[in-house]
Amino acid sequence: MTISVRQDRELVRATYRSHRYVLATVTAPTVERTGSRPSVNLAFVIDRSGSMAGAKLPLAKAAVEQAIGRLDADDRFAVVTYDNEVDVVLTSTSASAEAASAARHALATIEPRGSTDLGEGWLTGCRQVALGQRGEGVDRCLVLSDGLANMGITDRDELARHAAELRDRGVSTTTFGIGDDFDERLMQLIAEQGGGNFYYIEDARQIPDFITSEVGEALDVVARGVAIEVAGPPHLDVDALGIMPIDRRGDRTVIRLPDLVSGQELSLVIRLTFPYGQEGDAIAAAFSVSDRTGVLDPTVTTLSWRYGSSAENDAQPRDRTVDRAVATAFAARARREAVELQRQGDYAGAERAIRGVAKRIRAYAGSDAQLREQVRVLEDERVVYAAPMPMASLKQAHFLSTNALRSRDATGRSRRQPPA
Amino acid sequence: MSPDGTYSIAELAALADVTPRTVRYYVAQGLLAAPTGAGPGARYDEAHLRRLRLIRRLQAEHQPLAEIRRRLESLTEDEIEAIVDRPPEPPTDSALDYLDQILGAGRAVREPSVLFAIAAPLPAAASGQQVGRIALPTRPASPVADRSQWDRIELDPDVELHVRRPLSRPQHKKVERLIELARQILEEDPS
Repeated sequence: MTISVRQDRELVRATYRSHRYVLATVTAPTVERTGSRPSVNLAFVIDRSGSMAGAKLPLAKAAVEQAIGRLDADDRFAVVTYDNEVDVVLTSTSASAEAASAARHALATIEPRGSTDLGEGWLTGCRQVALGQRGEGVDRCLVLSDGLANMGITDRDELARHAAELRDRGVSTTTFGIGDDFDERLMQLIAEQGGGNFYYIEDARQIPDFITSEVGEALDVVARGVAIEVAGPPHLDVDALGIMPIDRRGDRTVIRLPDLVSGQELSLVIRLTFPYGQEGDAIAAAFSVSDRTGVLDPTVTTLSWRYGSSAENDAQPRDRTVDRAVATAFAARARREAVELQRQGDYAGAERAIRGVAKRIRAYAGSDAQLREQVRVLEDERVVYAAPMPMASLKQAHFLSTNALRSRDATGRSRRQPPA
Repeated sequence: MSPDGTYSIAELAALADVTPRTVRYYVAQGLLAAPTGAGPGARYDEAHLRRLRLIRRLQAEHQPLAEIRRRLESLTEDEIEAIVDRPPEPPTDSALDYLDQILGAGRAVREPSVLFAIAAPLPAAASGQQVGRIALPTRPASPVADRSQWDRIELDPDVELHVRRPLSRPQHKKVERLIELARQILEEDPS
C-alpha cells in the first residue's frame, strides 16, 4: 500500500462545522539501482557577486565539479554564473568525460564581482535545462546564492509565478541560500513554487554536502507528478496544512506533491470541515495517490465519520499520533508567520502568533507528554520572538518550519524508510 | 453551514483559510458582495465562498490585487463556478518557449554570452584587432544591451577608450585615473 491514512477522531458534531484531521503518509517504493535509472538534466547556477568572495565561491565551484562527477553520459548538465550580468559558462551538454573536463576548466574562470541579478541568472539556467529537456527524467535548475535579487526582475511574486509556470512545463528549481544575507523568503518561494527543494546553508563549508545530497536525490527520484486525491460528498471541505498546491475540482480535491525519491516517506495533515448532519448518519471520504510515472499503488482507502451528540463527541478517544502531527504543522505555520512579522518589525505580532498556537495545542494536549513538550517549547520561544532576532536565527526558524511542512528532516533532506 | 446553506463570517473565513478581517476588507473593497443581514447576523453563501476561493487562488498565483479585481469584474457567477471547479488547463507552450518569451521581453540582445560550449568554437577574441583603440581587458560582450552600455571616450584624435557602464565606484575611479594618465602620455611630445 502506498498511501496510508489515519483520522484523529471518528465522531463529528451534528449542528456545528467540525474540523477533523487526517494524517496521510505516502511511501515511495525502494528501488534497487542496478545499472539503469531515469536520466537527469540539470543546470547549476552560481552566484559570483562580490559577496561570494572568500571561501564560498571556491567551495561552490568544487561542489559543482564533484556533483558533475556523479553524472553518467546519459545525463545532461549546464553551468551558468551571474552577478549583474549572466554568462552561460557551459551550455547544456551530455555528461561525458570530455564535458566534465570542460566543466573543470570553465569553473576555474568564475571569479567574484558585481551585484546580483538572481532572476535572470536563474531563468538562464532554466533555459539551459529546457534546451536539453526530454521529459522522461528529472529536469531541474539548481541555484546557489548568498545575496538578494537586487537587479533585473526583483519582484518576489513575479519570480514565484515564473517558477510555477516552469514547473507546469516540466522544469523544476532547487535553491541553496548561503550565509546571512540572502532573502530566504524569495529563495524558499522559488523552490516551493518551482517544485524543487530549498536548503539553508549556514556555513560555507557545508556547501558540498548539500549539493551532493540534492544531486543524489535527483538521481534517486522514482515518482514524478505525484498527487493525493480526496473525494467526498458535497459540502465536505478539504484542505492541506502543508504548503503544497491544491486544486479543487467539484467534490474532488487534488493536493500536488513534490517528486519522491526511492523509499521516501512523505506525510501531510489534511483538514476536513464537515457540513451539518443528522445524529447517527455516517459520512465518508476516499483517499488515493497517483503519479505520472505509474510506480505508486493507486488503491483507494476510505475513512468514515459518524454524526454524534455533543456528549459523545466530547468523550470520544483521540489518535495521539495524528494530534502530534497536527500540532507540529500548526506550530510550523505559526513560526513562518512569526518570522515574516519579525522581518516587518512587528515583534508583538510575532510573539502573539507563537502564543496563539501554544494556547490551541494546550487545549487538546491533555496528558500527552509529547504534545505538552511542544507547548513548553513554544512557550519558551515566545520570549525570543518578542524581541528582534538575529538574521541567522530567523533563517534557521524559517528553514526548520518549512521542512516540517514539507515532511523533510531538519537539514532539508527527504525522509526515507530505514533499509529493510 | 447552517441548515439554510449560509455561513457566518467565521465559518466562511475558516473555509477559505483567511481571517474574518480579510473577508470584511474584501467586502469594503468591492471584491466580495455585501452579506445579507448586518453585524453578528450577517450571512454569506456558496457564491461568496467560491469568489473568496478564486481570490485566494489568484493570490497564490501571485497575481497583483488590481489584476484580481479586473478578473473578478469581468466574470459572471457561472463563470466563477466553472473556474473554481475546473482543473487547471495544462500549458500549451514548452518551457523553452516560455523562457524565450520572458528573457526576450524588452531587450535588444537576448543571448547571454556563452563562455564555453561543447562542440562549438569558443568565441574569438574580438578586441585588440583595431588599430588606435585601447581596449581594457574585458569579458565577452554584455548579454543585456539595455542594461549596460559601452561609452566611447576620445583620448586623442587617433585613440579611443571604450568603457562599459555602469561601473562600480572603485572601477570608475580607476578608469578616471587611466583616462588622465593616458591623456598625459598621448600629449607628451614625441622624443
